[in-house]
Amino acid sequence: MSEFEKTDPSKFLSDIIGSSVIVKLQNGINYTGNLQTIDGYMNVVLDNAKECSNGKVVRDYGDVFIRGNNVLYISEA
Amino acid sequence: MSEEIVEQPILPLEIIDKSVGNKVKVLMTSDKEFYGKLIGFDDYVNMVLEDVVEIDNEGTKSDPVKKMLLNGGHVAMIIPDVVA
Amino acid sequence: MSTKEEPLDLIRFHLDEFVLIKLRGAREIKGKLQGYDSHCNMVLSEAEEYIYNDSNDDVETKKTEMVFVRGDSVILISPI
Repeated sequence: MSEFEKTDPSKFLSDIIGSSVIVKLQNGINYTGNLQTIDGYMNVVLDNAKECSNGKVVRDYGDVFIRGNNVLYISEA
Repeated sequence: MSEEIVEQPILPLEIIDKSVGNKVKVLMTSDKEFYGKLIGFDDYVNMVLEDVVEIDNEGTKSDPVKKMLLNGGHVAMIIPDVVA
Repeated sequence: MSTKEEPLDLIRFHLDEFVLIKLRGAREIKGKLQGYDSHCNMVLSEAEEYIYNDSNDDVETKKTEMVFVRGDSVILISPI
């Protein structure tokens, strides 16, 4: 009934900026890396990103910009 | 005595608001479902969920994810008060 | 104190540099970033497009002097 633990999306995002996150895309591919920035469209910049498919690291990127419409979810690693 | 019963429309976002703090099931536009506790949402129905299990089209459940922000753009349906 | 940085800044910082773009439909393009907008529409020069088939052998490559990439097919952008 009470919403004392309510965390809205913007609070969640400000809480995880700088930490290691997992960004899962609609197509099933995961990117893990440090969350640098995020905007209202869910565009994301990760650094030290790894692209994982079926649990295996497929590729390494230094810096990566992910277009928000592809994002399924963002969670803390 | 005539009583005028005015039917207040129920706003969709109200239903979501009522579910904050409770478990919900979220059906995506793809063959994916998420089940977890809703701890917040915004006008676009992006949702912050806690202890979430991802269920794929074969019914396989993932390990629970502690906390996530689910992109509202791919949400098809939200079912409140659900039990797994 | 810096003003809030936004994701598109990463793209802005790499104008005139080579970037790798992953696109829907198992495609990638490498090219020199000439311009972009908030939709991720981009103009690349000296571009090379890679089209992958199911077995992932780098099937087709196309080279263009100048190409316009429509933003809605963009999955990710990474500086090279």
